[in-house]
Amino acid sequence: MKKAVAFALSAAMAAGIFAGCGSSSNQQPKQELNLFTWMGMFPDEVLESFQKETGITVNYSSFDTDETMLQKLSQAKGGDYDLIIADDYIIQTAIEQGLVAKLDKEKLTNLDNVNPIYQSQFYDPDNSYTVPYGAGVQTIVYNPETVNFEITGYEDLWNAALEDNLAIIGNYRVINGMALKTMGESYNTNDVAKIEAAGQKLLELAPNIRLIKDENTQDDLISGEVGAAIMYTSQVTLAKMANPDLKVVFPKEGIGLGIMAQFIPSQAPNPDAAHQFINYILQPEVAKQCFEHLGYYSTNKAADELISEEYKEFLTLPDNFTADSTEMIAPISAEAEEAHVKVWTEFKNACGQ
Amino acid sequence: MKQAKASKKYWATLLPLYLFTILFVGAPLLYMVVLSFLQRAESWGVTSQFTLQNYIQILQPVYLSTFADSLKLALISTTIIVFIGYPFGYFMAKLSPKGKQRMMLALMVPFWTNSLIRLYGWIIIFRANGTLDQLLMGLHITDSPLKLLYTYPAVVVGMVYALLQFMIFAVYSSAEKMDWSLVEAARDLGASPAKAFFTVTLKLTLPGLLSGIILTFIPSMGLFFIADILGGNKVVLVGSLIQDQLVKAHNTPFAAALAVVLMIMTTLMIALYRKISGVRDLEGLL
Repeated sequence: MKKAVAFALSAAMAAGIFAGCGSSSNQQPKQELNLFTWMGMFPDEVLESFQKETGITVNYSSFDTDETMLQKLSQAKGGDYDLIIADDYIIQTAIEQGLVAKLDKEKLTNLDNVNPIYQSQFYDPDNSYTVPYGAGVQTIVYNPETVNFEITGYEDLWNAALEDNLAIIGNYRVINGMALKTMGESYNTNDVAKIEAAGQKLLELAPNIRLIKDENTQDDLISGEVGAAIMYTSQVTLAKMANPDLKVVFPKEGIGLGIMAQFIPSQAPNPDAAHQFINYILQPEVAKQCFEHLGYYSTNKAADELISEEYKEFLTLPDNFTADSTEMIAPISAEAEEAHVKVWTEFKNACGQ
Repeated sequence: MKQAKASKKYWATLLPLYLFTILFVGAPLLYMVVLSFLQRAESWGVTSQFTLQNYIQILQPVYLSTFADSLKLALISTTIIVFIGYPFGYFMAKLSPKGKQRMMLALMVPFWTNSLIRLYGWIIIFRANGTLDQLLMGLHITDSPLKLLYTYPAVVVGMVYALLQFMIFAVYSSAEKMDWSLVEAARDLGASPAKAFFTVTLKLTLPGLLSGIILTFIPSMGLFFIADILGGNKVVLVGSLIQDQLVKAHNTPFAAALAVVLMIMTTLMIALYRKISGVRDLEGLL
């Protein structure tokens, strides 16, 4: 019995050696790229053509939440993965913990294609660690058939004509931030008094709220359960594809922005492959394919004009948009965060009355 | 000598149970309690500094009123469940053995489907131009779609639907064990049907009724996904508050403190149950 096992083992090892010889004598050693991100971030064709063009095999592994990603990355001490795509705020934490490597920009020849609106943000002010991938903005979408006035900004949502007819995102930084915006304040104020004032204003919005939901809000808008909704970009895309008559509003008070960015971990086994991948998807034609698949805003200004008419309205920012009219939601002090949670709970309680 | 050996074996057979309890009940519980006295770190995680702040924070009116709202919803749902579930369980115990089996099966079958999917069924019934709207409009009771989904009554319906069978089974198991000749004796001695019910039947089925109340009241404080799905997230329960703190605010210590308070409340209720009913175990836990 023992002998048989030993024989099987040595046979397997021998096979391994031969296999190793085979590939090294013909070409370069096989390269791998360990990509770690949410599910479904790239169309299969893009991954396949990258593999064909560079000979690098992409190992795609996925996480559910940013927090899981950070946990795994810190357990691996910045190793295991070559390229990660995650949300802005968590990247800031990862950089602070020393888990992110600086980019070698000489290898990124297509870097100029990036739209500068999405660069130099709070999580990476010098753009030395990250390259943006998709961006999300919170927009108002409404059905002109059931809403009998024109919505141009957040302020209009307080209109009594919208009673019990509005769906909102269940994210207190976005919704409390919306009230802050109507008062001319920043999303990221640390001033507790201002946050509380925004909370007072939000209480007046409560009668209009029919629904607070993060996922599939587009269904309620399409079915007519609500007439207007504040939604994430991916949902806006789905809503517009189901009902092209819906109106998308970029609030005149300015929009909140979230960015998914790519970064290379500090101990990445194959940073070279990661640079190649970043550069590959920065090509306008490839980027266009990615964004049309993803349904998030294009951060690649060279790709903007390639995006087909069908998607253009909700994958690219309007021409008159500048960096001044956008603001990212950035981490705030613990007291401010606590004030937000309190304001949000009060608001939700008021909505249920 | 022989006895000592036997008790050793007895311990050995119980060992897996103790290990399981310590590992999967005791340790997480301890972890949660310890966590509730720690402070959250500025950006992510917790610091190992002792604080009572999390508990002091719960005393703010907004969080107290969340507890009050949860209690209110639990009370409303439980009351409705008592009035539907008690008679149901009571009459089920009076069925023929075959009838009992069939009824039991009929009550169990819906459990073969995931509870979330069953809740989505309610959405189809309640939503604008949904089944119920079409029925009401077809019967000319209403002439335009009602806004039924994402309302308080929709949440109550969901709660009653999700928890009713716990009451039915608890009352049924109590009523089935009951000695019906006692009721007959009461009737023979001149008690009216109502009097016989209140003095004999109700008292004998009280453990079942009370355990049914516990089994519905406690979960209904925490079944936040029902409030989220059918109530459009507007009815804030302690459960949803805990979830918000964990998932959105990343304030684990505060979430732990909320959970500890919720657990103390449930423990008190079970202690009260034991005191009133004089029964140590919950009835009807199949």
